[in-house]
Amino acid sequence: MARRYDSSTTTFSPEGRLHQVEYAIEAINNAGTCVGILAKDGIVMASERRITSGLLAPAKVSEKTYQLCKHAACNVAGLTADANILIDQARLRAGRYQYQYQEPIPVEQLVEYVCNYKQFYTQRGGLRPFGVAFLFAGYDEHHGFQLYQSDPSGNYSGWKATVIGANNQAGKSLLKTEYKTGEEAEESIPDLQEALKLAVKVLNKTMDGTTSAAAAEKMELYTMSMEDGECAHNILNKVEAQKVIDAVEAESASAGDS
Amino acid sequence: MDTVVGVCYEGGVVIAADQSNGRSILTYQTNLDKIAKLSSHSMMGVSGPNCDLVNFTQYVAKNINLYELSNDGTKLSTKAQANFARGELATALRKGPFQVNVLLAGYDDKTKGSLYHLDYMGAMQKVKYGAQGYAQYFVSSIFDKDCTENMTEEDAVKIVEKCIKEIHTRFLMSQPNFIIKKVDKDGVKVLSFDADPADT
Amino acid sequence: MAALIGNDILDIGSRKARRQREDPMAPGFAFGAPGQFDIPNVADPAAYCRSNFASVCGTGDEDQSVKFMKGTTTLAFKFNGGVIVSVDSRSTMGAYISSGTVKKVIEINPFLLGTMAGGAADCSFWERNLGMECRLYELRNGRRISVAGASKLLANVMSSYRGYGLSMGTMIAGWDEKGPQLYYVDDDGTRLKGKIFSVGSGSTYAYGVLDNYYREDLTIEEAVDLGKRAIYHAAHRDAASGGINNLYHMTKDGFVKVHSIDVNDMHYQFAEERARAMQS
Repeated sequence: MARRYDSSTTTFSPEGRLHQVEYAIEAINNAGTCVGILAKDGIVMASERRITSGLLAPAKVSEKTYQLCKHAACNVAGLTADANILIDQARLRAGRYQYQYQEPIPVEQLVEYVCNYKQFYTQRGGLRPFGVAFLFAGYDEHHGFQLYQSDPSGNYSGWKATVIGANNQAGKSLLKTEYKTGEEAEESIPDLQEALKLAVKVLNKTMDGTTSAAAAEKMELYTMSMEDGECAHNILNKVEAQKVIDAVEAESASAGDS
Repeated sequence: MDTVVGVCYEGGVVIAADQSNGRSILTYQTNLDKIAKLSSHSMMGVSGPNCDLVNFTQYVAKNINLYELSNDGTKLSTKAQANFARGELATALRKGPFQVNVLLAGYDDKTKGSLYHLDYMGAMQKVKYGAQGYAQYFVSSIFDKDCTENMTEEDAVKIVEKCIKEIHTRFLMSQPNFIIKKVDKDGVKVLSFDADPADT
Repeated sequence: MAALIGNDILDIGSRKARRQREDPMAPGFAFGAPGQFDIPNVADPAAYCRSNFASVCGTGDEDQSVKFMKGTTTLAFKFNGGVIVSVDSRSTMGAYISSGTVKKVIEINPFLLGTMAGGAADCSFWERNLGMECRLYELRNGRRISVAGASKLLANVMSSYRGYGLSMGTMIAGWDEKGPQLYYVDDDGTRLKGKIFSVGSGSTYAYGVLDNYYREDLTIEEAVDLGKRAIYHAAHRDAASGGINNLYHMTKDGFVKVHSIDVNDMHYQFAEERARAMQS
């Protein structure tokens, strides 16, 4: 009986649920993990690269991280094909805003636009929801650095640190203990380097069991920071990434010793 | 025929506009307010036929208001407002233009006072001072001579009053009344008028 | 119009247009609503209208093939006792007086009066249309529309047909929740709120009298007399104004038609009064 309500995304089940949307959200929970952390001087986004075959040509620069405009980027968890459509929309919106006002679009407006687009696909007949969750990192003059996550239903929320994708619960509980929220003291918010290490730590935990050991090619590390009043996007290369991973390993080894 | 003048000073902008409206050889009214408030910290002095003047200012003001409502009170900067207005003039140009020339002034915490000069074809310049209408030919020289950096509000008002005096002495058209407004950190304020726009 | 387009069976466009017109239930069908107002079936409607139906003040109206009622004096003013609306009644076609008994005040409803200057057809059509819109507003909202709202409806129509050759110069007088109101609306979309307005070829003469003798604290009798005299003096000087002076008084209980006096009778009455005043 419940199956009757599964096929159409636009129909509520007798329990008042939209099954297709829930399934789409569930699908994300098996996708490659993405971690986002708000730092004092920028934002870190780290994501898991899943290597399906050794024959597959590796991505040239990035696989999970997409720049949307000068001052915003996102991480993708879920169907890359679906994500490409949404990323096109986001870039178009950011460009049109810049054209209309000759000013960068406020980050939340960009996120809201993409989410409204997603929501549309959960309500209109004959459509399927986007199987994508995003982490958005951005900077604007109104609220500085901002980190958002969104899910296939079109919901979005702002975070200091969050995880999406496989094992996100485990990742979130680690962040809860390791990330010092600003309420205690402004100074305790990590800087970019600390945030990077924390992000790798979380990925190590969420990827546990799927990989034998953390390797630079299995992680994509991205930072956003301010340089000369401009937003700087940086995806760490193999050497830089390995350096962070090694530092994390060294720390946990010494912590284990004591 | 309308006169609009504007001057930036340290921390704000002053705009003055005549208050007359007429048709052919008749003056219908001399207590209009041709300086519209767009948001809490911006205003627009407009010259042009009453119809376009009202339609355009209302359109811009309501859209700016809509932006604030739909984005949790996020305010558009003066630059963004000016670019929006310019864009609308340019889009309208090829399908029945708004015959309006505009001086748009605003205050932002970061950039302080700023003034934009727009014509009906959609050309825009950021200026320190400017005028619209025949007034340009009378007051531009006054601005060039008297405007300096770091002027106070009093300095700016004094210059604007000089401009109005010159219009009264040399301009053939009768523009007996002027309204003067300013925008600064405290928002838009009416400084003076010769005839009360509310008195109708 | 349909006949002009042609009845060729292959002329699908015109058949479709007619089908739409013949279906009164088609969405958006409202006679006179913007977009449904037929425009001349010529290559350049704007140019056609300009050359044949130029507005009162419009340029180049020498070669008009259709002459409009243009010679007119209408006036209205607000005072403490309400609004006075006073008009003449002459209609001219060039040098020919085509009518001397035109009703130039349009009773839109008991609380709204409109005056007529420019094209008689345009004025009466759009003010009747306004009357309909105002009645619909009343039915929808359970209260009367404000004069500001009513005049804005008319101004919006004028601005949407701008450049199409409409000819109208009108004053909308009324009484609403905020008291007596007076607006001026014309064919290029201008809408002004004010205390004194006068429109038409004789308006300059009327203004001369009005501006000099107007006070806000006129008594009703004085106000009626001022409205009457201003029209008389305009009719006297302006060849295209004359006939009968119709005068209305807008009160809080709606309009009252005060009088209809022949301006010729007024002339002799005033002449007598002046002669008597000089003797004494």
